Amino acid sequence: MTAPLARDKAVAPSRPAPRRRRLDGTLLLVAPAVLLVLALFVYPFVYGLALSFQPYGDNEANGPLGSYIAFFGDARERLSIWNTVRLAIPATAIDVALALPLAYRLRRPIPGQRTLTALFVIPMTLGTVLIAEGMLQFLGPAGWVNKALLAIGIVHEPVRFLHNYLGTLISLLISDFPAVFLLLLGYASGIDPALDRAARVLGASWIQRTVRVTLPMMLPGIAVATALSLVATFSVFPSAVLVGNPAGETRVIAFAAWQAAYEHFDYSEGSAIAIVMGAIELALVFAALSLRVGGYRRLTAEAGR
Amino acid sequence: MTTAKLKSLRVRELTKSFADTAAVVGFDLEVVGGEFISLLGPSGCGKTTTLNCVAGLLDPDTGAIEIDGRDITRLPPERRGFGMVFQSYALFPHLTIARNVAFGLEVRRVPRAEIEARVARALDLVQLRGVGERYPAQLSGGQQQRVALARAIVTEPALILMDEPLSNLDAKLRLEMRLEIRRLHQALGLTTLYVTHDQEEALSLSDRVVLMRDGVIEQSGTPEELYSQPRSLYVASFLGYRNLMPVEVGEVSGESVSVVANGLPLTGSRRGAVAAGTPAVATIRPKDVQVLGPGSPGCIAAQVELAEFVGDGFELSADAGHGQRFIARTLDRWSVGDAVALRLPPERLLVYPSEAR
Repeated sequence: MTAPLARDKAVAPSRPAPRRRRLDGTLLLVAPAVLLVLALFVYPFVYGLALSFQPYGDNEANGPLGSYIAFFGDARERLSIWNTVRLAIPATAIDVALALPLAYRLRRPIPGQRTLTALFVIPMTLGTVLIAEGMLQFLGPAGWVNKALLAIGIVHEPVRFLHNYLGTLISLLISDFPAVFLLLLGYASGIDPALDRAARVLGASWIQRTVRVTLPMMLPGIAVATALSLVATFSVFPSAVLVGNPAGETRVIAFAAWQAAYEHFDYSEGSAIAIVMGAIELALVFAALSLRVGGYRRLTAEAGR
Repeated sequence: MTTAKLKSLRVRELTKSFADTAAVVGFDLEVVGGEFISLLGPSGCGKTTTLNCVAGLLDPDTGAIEIDGRDITRLPPERRGFGMVFQSYALFPHLTIARNVAFGLEVRRVPRAEIEARVARALDLVQLRGVGERYPAQLSGGQQQRVALARAIVTEPALILMDEPLSNLDAKLRLEMRLEIRRLHQALGLTTLYVTHDQEEALSLSDRVVLMRDGVIEQSGTPEELYSQPRSLYVASFLGYRNLMPVEVGEVSGESVSVVANGLPLTGSRRGAVAAGTPAVATIRPKDVQVLGPGSPGCIAAQVELAEFVGDGFELSADAGHGQRFIARTLDRWSVGDAVALRLPPERLLVYPSEAR
């Protein structure tokens, strides 16, 4: 946008008067989207933010920050942050670690590439609830997995996969994998295959190529995938309830907000918790994106050359 | 002038197919250290496949590649120690120029001080002093090409492989880099295998040219040999014989053969199995067609149809009647519509048998 304008200015002497910028009629096409964002995101957000500073009931005594004080003052409530972090970070790390080699391997057409890619993306079409439903059947005490493990003799009593931390983690891994995989696949297929060949001819072993070329080239993609996955897993709610233990180890922050608002009918504290959750997500996103810093970020656009 | 590190490269009976297509068939080549060899041919002729097999980036189906008598056919590319320059340059976009050039040394765990000295020397050699801290995207195409060269030579490889390194450059830079490549080749005593589809590049750079077609060597020899003694019509047409005329063969006596092209009787030199009464193709370079004033004896009368100024003269298209046209290069100025006489020296008019394939 700015570049052509600047160039116009440079040629300007031949023009009699600077042209007035006219509003492009097609710009109106963004109006519905803007209205939608205002109505469905900006207004509720501002409303919630304002609400969070209007404490309710006992919290009113502590001034405008009453709801926040209530949340941070209660050890059980504070724990919900930790409960979320210890789900979101491992789920993201495992998904990225699994998706990265697969995406890199599948970046070029190989036999079965389409089938494999489709297979990895299927969970995206299933909702978290459906995934939880499947898990209840599949991973339950009498499910196939436990039956198989018992039959092989690896375990002597059914493994508890469900209604605990593990259940929620597995559900998050399944539901988040497709987005992470697709994103990394996009980045991986943008890497010039000649780079790997050049590194090989220059004498770099497989490990050296991975560390010196592939990973640094993938870093912007890894950062974005990590950020997206962190946000998605941080707002985990259905799987924490359906295949987790929302009264204990998987009492995540989204659940705490829901409980405050809809069980205790304290909308102010519910909003305060939601704002805290948003702030933490933002911090995690910035942390993830800071992976991209260093000399490489500005050159991402040239990656395909 | 240094002596070459490599004594010999031998490629024996190399064959490589992709799916059902044979890319290279029975390719044989012997390179002596210090030579500059070009693999020349149109796209799809197998020249790049051959180069990638030598580099180790492709596994040949059959055949062998030997360096100084040692079989390296199954050696992975990272252990061959060659240098390679790619068409896309393949510079690492996330590394500075200095780190790009240093790459081959770093993976060989050369001491840091030595790396610095060698990188500086390599950048000096390609006349890119002072850009070490920049990134590839900040350099022009020509500069990136120089970096790619520096990166390939800094490890002092026994053999340098180049895959159409100049095809992404504009005409002026191409000429400049061509000289540069030849200069480096001589100064460093390199042995170079160079892939190109540009006959001018191949002829000007190489000690020997290997012209390929459909995965097979059509002719190999010094540039002079290929230029003056093209073995087949294919080689001739690839090396600038732009006048191609289907002819009927009349009398054949020794090397000399008389033919009829669109009703015009011509005399040429026989190449290959040309027999009386068989169809053949006569061919001559534009610059070998002599353009004389009208009425010159023993010439073909023609009329100038097109006259193109090409810097060092004119390129004419002249109509000799019966639908027979000739392209000629001349230093004289002729205009469209001028009547001229064309002389085709018999020793320059080559007659090849029509190709069945």
